[in-house]
This record gives sequence, structure tokens and C-alpha cells, in this order.
Amino acid sequence: MRRHWFYILLSLTERDRHGSGIVRDVLALTGGELRLWPVTLYGSLDELREHSWIRELDSAPDDADDRGHRRWFRITPQGRRALAAELERMQRVVTVAQRRLAGVTGPYGEPS
Amino acid sequence: MAASRRTQLAAAAYRALLRLLPADMRARDGAEIEALFIDAGTDARRQGLAPYAAFLAVSAWDVVRRAPYERWRRRGRRPATQELLMRSFLSDLRFAVRSFGRQPGATALVLLTLALGVAANTAVFAIVDGLFVRPFPFRAPDRLVYLNERAPAWNLEFTGINYPDFHGWRERARTFESMALFSPTSINLTDASGADRVDGLTVTHDFPKVLAVRPVLGRTFTAEEDRPNGPRVVVLGYGMWQTRFGGASDVVGKSLRINSVPYTIIGVLPPEAHFPAGVNFWIPLGGDPNQQGRSYGYDGIGRMRPGVTVEQARTDLMKAHEPIWRAADTSRTVSPRLDPLREQFASNFEVMGKALGVGALLVLLIACANVAGAMLARSIFRRREIAIRMALGASASRVGRQLLTESLALAFVAGVAGTLLGRWALGVIVAAAPDSLPGWVQLESGVRTVGFGVVVVLLTALIFGLVPALQPRRENVAGSLAWGGGQRTSGSLAQRRMLDGLVVVEVALALVLLAGSGLLLRAYTHLRDVDPGFRTAGVTTFQVSLPRTKYSNGLVQKQFFTMLIERLEAAPGVTNAAIVSCLPFGCHNGQFLQVEGAPPPTPNSPNPVVLTRMASPGYFETMGIKIVRGRFFAENEGSPRGPRPVVVNEEFAHAKWPHGTDPIGRRIIWEGDTTSSDWMTVVGVVRDVKHYGLANPMRPGIYISTTGIDSTSSRRTFGVAVRSSADPGSVAATARAIVRQLDSELPLFEVRTAEAAAARSIAPRRAIAFAFVAFGFVALALAVGGIYAVLSYVVGRRRQEIGIRMALGARRGQVVRLVVEQGLRLVAIGVVIGLPLALLATVKLADLLAGISPRDPITFTAAIALLAGTALVSALVPARRAAGVDPKTALGD
Repeated sequence: MRRHWFYILLSLTERDRHGSGIVRDVLALTGGELRLWPVTLYGSLDELREHSWIRELDSAPDDADDRGHRRWFRITPQGRRALAAELERMQRVVTVAQRRLAGVTGPYGEPS
Repeated sequence: MAASRRTQLAAAAYRALLRLLPADMRARDGAEIEALFIDAGTDARRQGLAPYAAFLAVSAWDVVRRAPYERWRRRGRRPATQELLMRSFLSDLRFAVRSFGRQPGATALVLLTLALGVAANTAVFAIVDGLFVRPFPFRAPDRLVYLNERAPAWNLEFTGINYPDFHGWRERARTFESMALFSPTSINLTDASGADRVDGLTVTHDFPKVLAVRPVLGRTFTAEEDRPNGPRVVVLGYGMWQTRFGGASDVVGKSLRINSVPYTIIGVLPPEAHFPAGVNFWIPLGGDPNQQGRSYGYDGIGRMRPGVTVEQARTDLMKAHEPIWRAADTSRTVSPRLDPLREQFASNFEVMGKALGVGALLVLLIACANVAGAMLARSIFRRREIAIRMALGASASRVGRQLLTESLALAFVAGVAGTLLGRWALGVIVAAAPDSLPGWVQLESGVRTVGFGVVVVLLTALIFGLVPALQPRRENVAGSLAWGGGQRTSGSLAQRRMLDGLVVVEVALALVLLAGSGLLLRAYTHLRDVDPGFRTAGVTTFQVSLPRTKYSNGLVQKQFFTMLIERLEAAPGVTNAAIVSCLPFGCHNGQFLQVEGAPPPTPNSPNPVVLTRMASPGYFETMGIKIVRGRFFAENEGSPRGPRPVVVNEEFAHAKWPHGTDPIGRRIIWEGDTTSSDWMTVVGVVRDVKHYGLANPMRPGIYISTTGIDSTSSRRTFGVAVRSSADPGSVAATARAIVRQLDSELPLFEVRTAEAAAARSIAPRRAIAFAFVAFGFVALALAVGGIYAVLSYVVGRRRQEIGIRMALGARRGQVVRLVVEQGLRLVAIGVVIGLPLALLATVKLADLLAGISPRDPITFTAAIALLAGTALVSALVPARRAAGVDPKTALGD
């Protein structure tokens, strides 16, 4: 999964957001490392929508802090599943990487 | 100020840059992207000029880098687009099913119309395909040619091949890979289960080589076995091997009793060796290259070398025949002929095949016009619905696609129904034309037919679906949406014209079909009523063939038949029984005869071949053949040693004594036999019997008496005719019982009533006439239905106008006339267009019309009257509805 997608989905798991809300959240999530530029952001949102991983809301959510923005996005159950799968994959990589770094061989370790 | 100006400039530049993005993205996300850019830009500018410049650069980079990807993504989005199309197709389909479901009657009518058109076409396609298109089941079938000989002076286009001629061709012709002779034969086959008559071929040893077939078991004949009085060997047909021997693999070497003589089975043929028809076995032809006399009778088949044209082969064959002309036929009376194999076997059906094809196509066109009309009317009534869709943003192509989907759905259902109906119709047609088709023709609705049906369905869907699909136009939306404009919602003048035009086309095409079917039907009834020259009612005929081994000479054979006639005549209900060497509509035995005192014929003077039959004295009475002059044979007249009486037919009398000389008492003799004492004296002239079928002219013919049969006679197969008051089934059973009493090994074959035999001779004519009548009625129903639909539509549309007319004092009769006149005007235009078309088309049918003129005024008048009459009736229904309009309610609409 592309990095943009991952962080957009991750951002939307917390709550429904609009475009600039996502940008800010992703900035915060990555400690300022990943900035979603506008065209990339909306292109990615379109792609995610094509995957049915997010959908656009018909109107701003009731608890919205900023009702001036027209378009709000929400993660779909498929989106959550995709994100969970990606997390699991990352988890495995992390596990293997940690083991290797620690010199431990295991089911994913070096052949003896 | 400068800062805000800079921001504005940057925003404008950014907006300009955004034009790189795909239009849909710009439309949807452009504003938000810009807003983000401006928000972030404000933040960046606060951090100083350098960060702001970096921000601008990255923002620009963001657009420039991403834009090509977004465009590519949309182009590469084909799968998604297809999915969308599919989804919209499915929803269109659901919509179509629902909307058709709301009008079940109209929908069923449309489906029936289309199904009939498709059915006619698939059935006819199967026939045309089987006859003309589907290749013979042999390797390189294009190289196969049919060989025969012709003799115009004898009035014979096909004389059959003379064996020594063939021998010469085979020796000298260079353009052929191989050539062979074959001759249909039938044998009495006897085994434990009883006696059977079985058809097969005598063939020369090259026959399998020409067809390029290999036996599935054992071998075929060697050249050594194919000689006069050669060994008795037989190759079994695949079907017979399966049915009689259960496909046993050890059948080779076994013995088979053919005509009471044992033959050794040497091989089994593959299934495709089923040529030309009904082949159960091959036995060697055993021709003698030194055979004397002019005996013609074999069929020939040749395989041309690769690359040789039919014309080259023909020239080569003529060259190979030269020595024969020089040696034996200096007047070149007989010459070889060569035709592509398919032409030979299919040419009889060419006119019929074409006629059927055109007829079916016309039916389909009418069906298409009809359905197009229905869909058009439907789309006009749906203008408001379509206008709303378009007002809500549906594109013209989207609406067109939906209308096309509806057409496709209709076509699909109609196609399935039509193909099934076509299979059934094919069965009916095949049953109506029994065994008059060549045996290799496979009339089946297989993959090819179904494939053809699919093509037809798609084409029809396109034709009738396109008309309404072309209708939606944005500019009409406003007008159609205007409420209360009852007039305007019901379609423009152009659409009315189109509806009218479709009906006119239907009427014109229907007239062509009606005229054609009328002519064919008249021709058929005319043929059916042709006097066959004898009284068919009450006559049953069958054949018996006596094997040479048991009935070795003519006298024994004569004795058998005399006993058979006696016993048959003693049977209950039987009034007469007789035998003849060739039953009507049956075989042919041509001879040449010469009249006493006439100048000897010059080689190329016309010398028509004479159908020569041997008949027992009671034959004329049994068949009810009328005497014109003189008398029939007397009982016991014409003993082998005494004077030989002969009865001639009218055609013979005219041909030999053209100046009205009385033939009675004149003497005739076999040509070239003048020195012998075998002169025959004419004792009677009888009516011509339509020996070659009710549709064909009679040749000169003579009868000689079976009482003259002596020990040398070689004729062993005779037809038996029985006149009885009992029903035909019981006559056949009685005859079988009597023959079995006389000889249990003898089978009866070709048992049929004379009426059935006569009908069989014109069965193909009947089949095509009935097919066309069916086409004609379907066409009539469709055209009349079209008129009805248009008038109903017009009446519905003009309710208000009619209401006003009636309020202003128009009488009911006037309103009725108004509507009916509209309908009849369409018919009149259709007839004016259709009449010349029909006149052109029916000329092509001339060959099938048995003397009825292709411009027969009675038929044409009747066709027009039928069309106009039914149109009038169909116009009256909407007309009366119009007259029933209540001005008050109509104006209140």
C-alpha cells in the first residue's frame, strides 16, 4: 500500500475529516515528515474512493468543528480491513527485522 | 498590499497550472485544491520569503508531477469504465424488463414477431447451408467433379456413362488424380431374421481413392477384384456394420448372403462414405472394357489434381474422349460432361434455395420494420420520460444506450425463441420433402445454424433498435417537458412520417411475399391436379426382385409373377393385379426404336430415347390407363415365338408418326436390329402417364407384354400394382403374406399407394409452396398489425382534434372514413411500391411455376385484394374507436 494511502486511511480511522484536516493530521502523525500536497491528496482520495476504501459524505458530520468545508470523507469497512491487513504485513516485517537485528533466527530468520 | 497582490498572482498562476489536471478532477476537486494551496501559502509566507518560494516550487511540482499520472490513470481506467458500463447495462436491463413487463401484451406481440422472423431465417439457413455451403465430408472437396455423358440428339442431358468410355478416360486423362464409377443398386439380403431389401453401390476399385476415404476395418477392392465375374466380395457401410453386426471387429472374413449368394466381407467403410445416399455396402462394379453396344448407365466421379480448374479438366476429358469419337461415334452423338460435384447434386434445388432464402429475409425485414415501428411509437410515448432523464443530466448517448439495451434484450429473447422455433420448422420442412434431397445433405440446426441465428438477432437488434435510439435530442427537451401540451408530447411530423414509411415498407414487402406464395401455391395445386394419366385411387404398388440363383431364367421368373398375380387377384377386396418393369415415378429404361419404312436415322437427327416398359396384360386395367386408339394386350397374346404386340403412348405416336398417320398395325423394331425378325406390331395407343413426375414432361414410351418373356430375359425386378377396395395398409399386409408364401426369402420394397407416389413426385414443390404460404401469412399479419398500430397511434394522438370535429358537427361515419382513408392511403402507397418489386421478383420463380405465368393477373389481384381487405378490417377497429370519442371528455383532456 502506498504511503499516502496508508496515512490517509489511518487519519480517517480516528474520525471523518475534510481535505485540510487530513493534511494536518498526517503531518502530525508523521512528525512533519509527510506533507500531502493538494493535488496528490485529492488524487489519492479519488483512488481510495475507487477502491471503495473511503467514501465521501453527503454533508458535514454533526460534530464537525469546521463546517465551512464542503467535502468530508469517511473510511469504509473495506478501508478498515485493507488498513488492518497492511498493518499486519508491516507487523511481520517489523518482527522479522527486530529478530534479525537482535541476531535471533526463527521461522522467518536466516537458514541455519 | 504587495503581499496580497503576490498571493493573488500566485493563486492565478496555480489555477492556470491546475489546467494540466484532467477536466473531471478539476471540476470536482479544483476549488478545494486551490483553497488548500491558499491556506498553506498564507502559513508559508509568514515564515519568510525563502520558505514561501520553496512552498511555491513544491506546490507547482505537486501539480506537474501528479497531472500526467492522473490523466494516465483515467486512460488506464478502462476496467473501471467497463465496469461502470456493465453496471449501467445491468440497470438498463432491469429497467427494460420492468418496462416491458408493464406492457405484457405488446411485448409478447413484438417478441412473437421477431421470433417468427428469426425462425424462418434459421430454418432456411439450415437448408441452404446443408445444400450449398457445407462442404462434402471428404478431403479437398473442391477438387471433386461429377462425370457423365450427354446426347442432345437423344434428348438426354445425362445418358449415364458407358463403361468402355470411362476406361478410355481413365487411361488417357491427365488432369485427374483418380476417377471412378458408381451405380446405385439394391439387393435382397437374407439372414436368420428374414429378408430385407438394402440399398448400396456398385463401384469401381478407385472409388475410395476419389473420395479419399479409408476403411475403418479391413480393406477395399483391388483392381484385380473389379473385373467381370470377379470374386464375390463386399465392403460394409458403417451403418450396416453397426446395426447388423453390432460393430463387431471380427466381421472381416465373414460371409453375407446377397441375392441368395454368399459374399465375403473384406472391410468396413467409415461413416462419411455415405455418398451419394443410403449406402449400406459397396460391391465391385466389375465393368468390361471390351463390352459391346451402346449401354450407358453409370455415374462417374473424379478427383482433379491440385491446381487444375474445372475448365482445364473439361478440356482434358474431351481430349481423352477423341479416340472414342474417331473409333465408334464419328457423328459425336455422345460427349462427356463434367460438373463440380456440388453443382450436380444441388442445382435442382438452387432456385428453391434462393427463393426460400429471399422469402425468409423478406419476412425478417418486415418483422424488423414492424418492431422498429413499435419501438418508435413506444419511444414517442416515452418522450416525457426521456426528456426528464435528459433534463436531469443523462447524455443523449446514455439514453440511446438504454434504448439499445431494450432492443438487445428483446432481440435476445426473440432470438432464443426463434432459434427453437426454427429447429421445429426445419423438422416440418424436412418431413414435407422426404428423401427428395441428396443423402449427404445434413439438414440439422447445429453450431453453424445457431451462429447464424445469433448474427441475425444482433443485426435485427441493430436495425430496429437504432431507429428509436436515434431519437433523443436535447433541443426537444423543453418542448417535451411542457405539461398539458398533449399534441407536442406525441411526436413530431418527422416521426409520424417515419412510422408511415415503415408501414409502407411492410406493405410493399408483404405484397412481394403474398404474390410469390400465391403463385407457388397455384403452381402446386395446378401440379397436384395434373392428371397423372391413370386412376391413382385404390392402387397400391410395390416392388419385388428375384435373385438370379433361384430364378435363373425368365420362364421361372414369369411363372413366379403369374402365380403372384393370380393369388393377389384372389385376395379379398382386390379387383386387379398386374406387373410392370417400371412403375410410374420410378425407374427409367431407355431404348431406341425405329419405325418400319421410315428412312434410317442420320447420326445427328433427333432420336429421342424411348421409355420401354414390360407390362402384364392386366396392367392398363389395374392402373386405369385409358386407351386412345386400338386395344390393350390380349391375355396370352405375344408368346415368345408368336407376333409381338406393342402398346405405345401418345407422345411416341406423335414423335414417330407426326403427320397423323394411324399407328395401329404399324411395325417398330429396336434400332440397329432391322435385319432380325423381332418386329413389334402396334396394337394400341394409350394416354401418357406422367412417369417422370407430375411436374415433368413425358417422353415417348412403349409397353411390351410380359407374355413375351423367354428364358433369356434378364429383367428380374418388377413393380407390382394392385387395385383394391380394401384400405392400403391391409393391401400391403395381404401382399406381404402372399409373397412370403411363395418365397420366404423375398422382401417387398417401395410399398406405397399410387397417390402417395404421385404426391412424392412433387413433394419439394409442396414444401416450398407451403413455406411461402407461411411466409406470406406472417408477412400479411405483420403488415396489417403495423397498419393497426399506426392508426391506433394516430387516433390516440388526434383525440382532441376528433373531439373538436365532432363538437363542430362531424358525423361518426365521417370520422370513421377519415381514419380508414389514412390506413388505405398507406396500403395504396405500399402497393404502388411493392407491385413492381413483386413483378421483378416473381419472374425469378418462373422455373417453379409449372406453366403459371409469373405475372398471373389473378394471383396479383388476389394478393392486393387480400392485403387491402385485411388492412381495411384492421383499420376499422381504431376508426370505430375514434368515432366513439366523446367530444366532452376529449376536449377536457
